[in-house]
Amino acid sequence: MSLLEINNLTTQFKTNQGTVSALRDVSYQVEAGEVLGIVGESGSGKSVGMLTLMGLLASNGRVTSGTIKFDGEDISPSNLDSKKKRNDYENKMRALRGNKMSMIFQDPMTFLNPVLKIGIQMTEGILAHTKCTKAEARKRAVELMKQVGIPSPKNRFEQYPFEFSGGMRQRIIIAIALACNPKLIIADEPTTALDVTVQAQILELIKKITKDTGTAVIMITHDLGVVATLCDRIAIMYGGKIVEEGTTDEIFYKSKHPYTEGLLKSINNSEKDTSEPLIPIPGTPPDLLNLPKGCAFMARCPYTMKICKAQQPVTTKYSKTHSCSCWLYCMDESYITVS
Amino acid sequence: MKVISQFLRFDGGDIINEKLLEVKDVCKYFEVKRGYKEPQYVKAVNHVSFEINKGETLGLVGESGCGKSSLGRTLLRIYEPTSGSIKYRGDEITHLSKHRLLPYRKKIQMIFQDPYASLNARLTVGEIIAEPMVIHKMYNPKHRIERVQELLKTVGLKPDHIRRYPHEFSGGQRQRIGIARTLALDPEFIVCDEPISALDVSIQAQVINLLEKIQAERGISYLFIAHDLGMVKHISHRIGVMYLGHIVEMGPSNEIYRAPYHPYTKALLSAEPIPDPKSARTKKRILLEGEIPSPINPPKGCPFVTRCPYAMEDCQVAMPNSYKFGDRLVACFLYSPRRLRQRENFSIEPLLNKKQED
Repeated sequence: MSLLEINNLTTQFKTNQGTVSALRDVSYQVEAGEVLGIVGESGSGKSVGMLTLMGLLASNGRVTSGTIKFDGEDISPSNLDSKKKRNDYENKMRALRGNKMSMIFQDPMTFLNPVLKIGIQMTEGILAHTKCTKAEARKRAVELMKQVGIPSPKNRFEQYPFEFSGGMRQRIIIAIALACNPKLIIADEPTTALDVTVQAQILELIKKITKDTGTAVIMITHDLGVVATLCDRIAIMYGGKIVEEGTTDEIFYKSKHPYTEGLLKSINNSEKDTSEPLIPIPGTPPDLLNLPKGCAFMARCPYTMKICKAQQPVTTKYSKTHSCSCWLYCMDESYITVS
Repeated sequence: MKVISQFLRFDGGDIINEKLLEVKDVCKYFEVKRGYKEPQYVKAVNHVSFEINKGETLGLVGESGCGKSSLGRTLLRIYEPTSGSIKYRGDEITHLSKHRLLPYRKKIQMIFQDPYASLNARLTVGEIIAEPMVIHKMYNPKHRIERVQELLKTVGLKPDHIRRYPHEFSGGQRQRIGIARTLALDPEFIVCDEPISALDVSIQAQVINLLEKIQAERGISYLFIAHDLGMVKHISHRIGVMYLGHIVEMGPSNEIYRAPYHPYTKALLSAEPIPDPKSARTKKRILLEGEIPSPINPPKGCPFVTRCPYAMEDCQVAMPNSYKFGDRLVACFLYSPRRLRQRENFSIEPLLNKKQED
C-alpha cells in the first residue's frame, strides 16, 4: 500500500469572474521514502494540489470530488456537507499537520513570525503533538538544529528570525517540518528564493534527510535542474492536470508529452559545450477561468489534431511508472466519444 | 527551424572589435548612517574594470548582494559612481551634468527585472513606449505612433495592442513591452538586469531568443545580469563573476564553464543543478560553507577568504591582483606568478583538480 494515494481530485475556486478549476481530476501515489517532483508553471495547480492535500484551502476553494488516503487513513476533503463532517475532518487534519505530514514553504522570509524567538516557534509543534515537558521539547529542538547544520544551536535558540540569513531560516523551517518525525514532507519551492550556492546546501540537506529518516518528500518546483538532482519520480502538471508522470530518467530521456518535450528544449544545459539554440514554447499558459473543452495545451502544441480540440486526452501507460495523457499516443479509437 | 536559428545567433566572429564601453576602477559605496555613530559604507562595487565591444554580450553572475545590479545601475549613472571612470566610445561620461548626459542616455538603456513593477499601470502601452521619445524630443506625434507600432511588431506583439493597458498582458508580454520601450531610442548598449528571472520557464526562452534576434539585427551590446547560470552561458560571449563587489574572474563563457579558475567560480558552477539526471548523479559538488559576508564589513584581503577551501596566508592580508591568462582574468593568489612557478608544471587546471581529490 502506498503512503499517500490521491484519486480523481478536483478543486475549484469561486471568484467574481467565475469558477476557476485549479485542479482537475488529479491522481497520483507516493511511496514511503521516495522523492516525487511536481513540475509546472505558475498557475498549473501544483501549489493548490498541496494545499488541498493539507486541508489549507482558502475559504472560496472547494473540493468537488476525489479521495485522499494517507497512511491507511481516509482524509478526503470532498463531500463535507454537514457541520459535523467538517469538524471531524478539521480535527483529523489538525492531528496530522506538522505531525505525520508537514510542509516547507517557499519564502523563508515570511514563514517565520518576526516577533517570536526561534526557540518558541520550533517547540510549538513538538509541544502540540507529543506529550512532553518544555525542557524535553527544547532538547529536541536543539537536536534538530544540529541535524540541519546550524552552528551553536543553544545560543541560536534564543534569537529572533531577523538574526538569521535566508539560508539559515530555510534550515530552521526544515527543522520545524522534521520536528515530529513526519512520514511525508511537502516542499513547496523550498529553494526558489535562495542563491545557487545556498540552494545546493539545502538540496543536499533534503537528500540526506530522506536517506537517514526514510521520509517521503513531495517536491514542488519549476526548476528542472532541481528535480533532476533530487527526485526519484516526476509528475508534470499543466492547466490543473498531470500530463505526464514517470521516473526521472523516463521524463528526461523518454519524454512523450509535447509540453514536457518543449520544457526540456527551452532550457539550456550549461554542461554542454555547444550553444544549441533554445526552442521556446510559443504562446502563454492557459486561462483557468475558461479552459478549452479539449486539451489545455492545444493552443501551444505543435502537433494539434482535430480530436485535441473536441475531447480531453486519455492517459496512455508505457511502463509501470510512465504514463502520459495526450492523443498522440492513444492507439485505441474506442476512447473517442465525439465524432 | 535550425537554419533560422543560425541567423539568430550572433556568433563570436561577428563582434566588431570596437570598444563601446570602458569601465575603469569604478567604485560605488553607499553610506549607512546609524544614529550618532560614524557613517559606515556598503562597498557594493569595488574597483571594477572591464570593456564591452560592439555587438557583444557580457554576462554578469553572482549571488544576491554581490553588487551586480548596483554595477549595472552605476554604468547608467542611475547611481553616481564614488570613484573611477566610465567611458562611452572614448568620451568620459562619469561626471557629465544631467543635461550633457542626455545624448548618452539615449544610447545606453536598461531592461528591468520585474515586468509587473516597471510599467506604469496608468499609461497605455502606446504611451509607455512613446515616453522616452517624448523626453528626448524625437519625431513628431504622428511619426511616434507609427514607430511604436513598428516596435511592437519587432518584439512580437500586435500593433493594435497600442491602446491597451499593462494589466491586460501576461508577464512575458509585459517584458516584451519593456524591451520595446528600451528599443524606442535606438540604443547601442542595453543593461539587462535579470530580465527573465520573474518569468515562467517556458516563457524565458522566448525572451532570450528575442534579445538575441534584436542583437543580431541591430548589433546592440548587452550587459546581461542574471543568476540563472545556464541562460547566462547561452546568451553571453564573455562572463564576469562577481563576489562581494569584486569581479573575481572574467573570460569567454565557454571557457569559464569548461574550466573555471577561481575557487568561487568553481563552487558556483558546481552548485548549479543540471537538468540532466545522469550527469546530476555523477556531478561532484563543492559545497561552500556559510554565506556571503556583509558588504559593510568585508573580510580584509581577498573577499572570498572566509569561504575559500584553498585559503592561504597571503589571502588574509591583501586583495589579489587580476592575473591574465590569454583573454581570461582571474583575481586569486593561486595563480600568482610565484605560486605558478612553485608548481612542477605550469598548467593551471591540475592544481584545483588535484586538491579536489584530496
